[in-house]
Amino acid sequence: MIRELGALTWRELLRLGRNPQAIVTSLLLPILYLLLFGQAFNLGALFTSQPGGQAFLLAFLRGAPTYFSYFSAGMAGFVAVTATLFIGANVIFDRLFGSLKRTASSPATATSIFGSRLLAGSIQPIGLAFLVIGFAILLGRLGLAGLQVTAPIGVVGAGEIVLAVVILSAMFASLFLAIGFSIEQPQTYFAVVNAINLPVLLTSAALYPWGTMPAWFRTIASFNPITLAVNVLRENMFTGATGYYPYDPYVYLLGLLGWAVAMFLIATLLAARALAPKR
Amino acid sequence: MQGDLAISANGLSRTFNNSVKAVDSISFFVRRGEAFGFLGPNGAGKTTTVSMLTSGLRPTAGSATVDGVNVVAHPEEVKRRIGLVFQESTADGDLTGRENLELAAALYRVPRREVRSRIDSLLEQMQIGDAADRLAKTYSGGMRRRLELAVGIIHSPPILFLDEPTLGLDPQGRAGFWNYVQNLRHEHGMTVFVTTHYLDEADTFCERLAIIDHGRIVATGTPTELKDKLGGDVVTVRSVAPDPRLEATLRAVAGVTSVTVQDGSCRVKCPRGEALVPQLVAACASAGIGVATVSLKRPSLDEVFLEFTGREYREDDSVSPTDRAVRIGQIRQAMGRGGR
Repeated sequence: MIRELGALTWRELLRLGRNPQAIVTSLLLPILYLLLFGQAFNLGALFTSQPGGQAFLLAFLRGAPTYFSYFSAGMAGFVAVTATLFIGANVIFDRLFGSLKRTASSPATATSIFGSRLLAGSIQPIGLAFLVIGFAILLGRLGLAGLQVTAPIGVVGAGEIVLAVVILSAMFASLFLAIGFSIEQPQTYFAVVNAINLPVLLTSAALYPWGTMPAWFRTIASFNPITLAVNVLRENMFTGATGYYPYDPYVYLLGLLGWAVAMFLIATLLAARALAPKR
Repeated sequence: MQGDLAISANGLSRTFNNSVKAVDSISFFVRRGEAFGFLGPNGAGKTTTVSMLTSGLRPTAGSATVDGVNVVAHPEEVKRRIGLVFQESTADGDLTGRENLELAAALYRVPRREVRSRIDSLLEQMQIGDAADRLAKTYSGGMRRRLELAVGIIHSPPILFLDEPTLGLDPQGRAGFWNYVQNLRHEHGMTVFVTTHYLDEADTFCERLAIIDHGRIVATGTPTELKDKLGGDVVTVRSVAPDPRLEATLRAVAGVTSVTVQDGSCRVKCPRGEALVPQLVAACASAGIGVATVSLKRPSLDEVFLEFTGREYREDDSVSPTDRAVRIGQIRQAMGRGGR
């Protein structure tokens, strides 16, 4: 099983790597958000020019020095969503073009077929998340609002950031695989995915300053998986941020893991049903 | 007997949505090393049967074994023992030909030390070695078919299922494909189960056939046996105007085995049709029946199909008679057989 899982995962990564359009599309939305939304709403100077404004802003943005920095961490998390939706789409296209039939007719187990796609989907966004972070830093060097990483990120911190992106990606890869294995038409798939993406993003703390969110919204956002991952990123990227969060990063990682496991179980059931001999 | 059988189906049935009977209680066997053809028009139940035999679809009734393994109880064991070439292309277009084969080798657990040599050998055998490192989506139709075949036999299966393998290929491509399959059979003693709606291919390639129509097997036997069941040549006589005396007139001619009326024409069976045609025409003239057309057909699987199903076989309206003739010639040449 290890051999077939490895071979199928390698195949998925090869295909993703050979599909530059998918990579560009995955990055397009976070990059556009950074270029437009992030620049336009970077209103921190309004506060910092006032006495006590800097302290207010830090509390408002949970330790991030600027709104753009706060927002950049959110976009690095959001790329996990935009990248993994192709994993689910590939299931549908593989079914349409026959290669899923070929794999399902081989002795490969349903676990390997599903697991390989999940693994590839969890690994691929790591690079993209760091590309988003790099781009956000680069904007600052170009004279625009840019990401300011104010905390020294050690090995543990970097590990937590990678883990947050991987688990968030695994969770969304599971979700999109569940949809991909349940839906046959690409049009329906993309309609469903779009109906999920935006509400998930809008109910998270990826976009909004924590300070402006009403209490009821904060409660909803606290359980949102993107928020959980982004909390880990922000706690590690900004000096003193931990003081603004009620929990340590590992707690958010555990919460995120809970989401991922739940979604994994649902997706496994749906994939096993789709790949079993038809009754 | 059971040990000699590569495939055995007993009362195999498949109903969809509790109403559509795609396959209706079919029973047959395939001996080891045999090339067995499963013949029928589109929608006859061929692919459904293959799906059940290859453990991709559960039968609603009946049972089947492949290489002695029950297809319902042990689907993964069945999948390990068979090669499968689908009618549509299933190779991954985003991978190269070699990568497709490497993936298949891993999925079928080909011993690691043998993978490279087996892939190189298959690429050469299928004449796609030069394109091995090109993405499969850049392959021509014939190359993709050959890649499909290579993927299907990467693990040297004892039984190979071919589901409409030459669909969409030009005559040359078809001939080449059958040549590869024939070589495989000779070299490895592989059992081949092929579904096709090209009667000429089945006639030339298969040692035994089953004809399926509306989900039921209507005849089985070797191509020669099936054709012999027709009782010789078929002369079709059509009168200028419908005439109730035509059948009796023809039946009275010495040498006529039987006469049946089909679509206003009389189908006359006789051992030597070419010798009897003048007598049949003369008999009609004597009876005052105007003859519009007379045609003579040697026994063919088309005739066999007509005999057992009561209707004409339409293989593919898009294939012109010229293409078809060229195809038959090329296939026979490739197979090194004269045919009947």
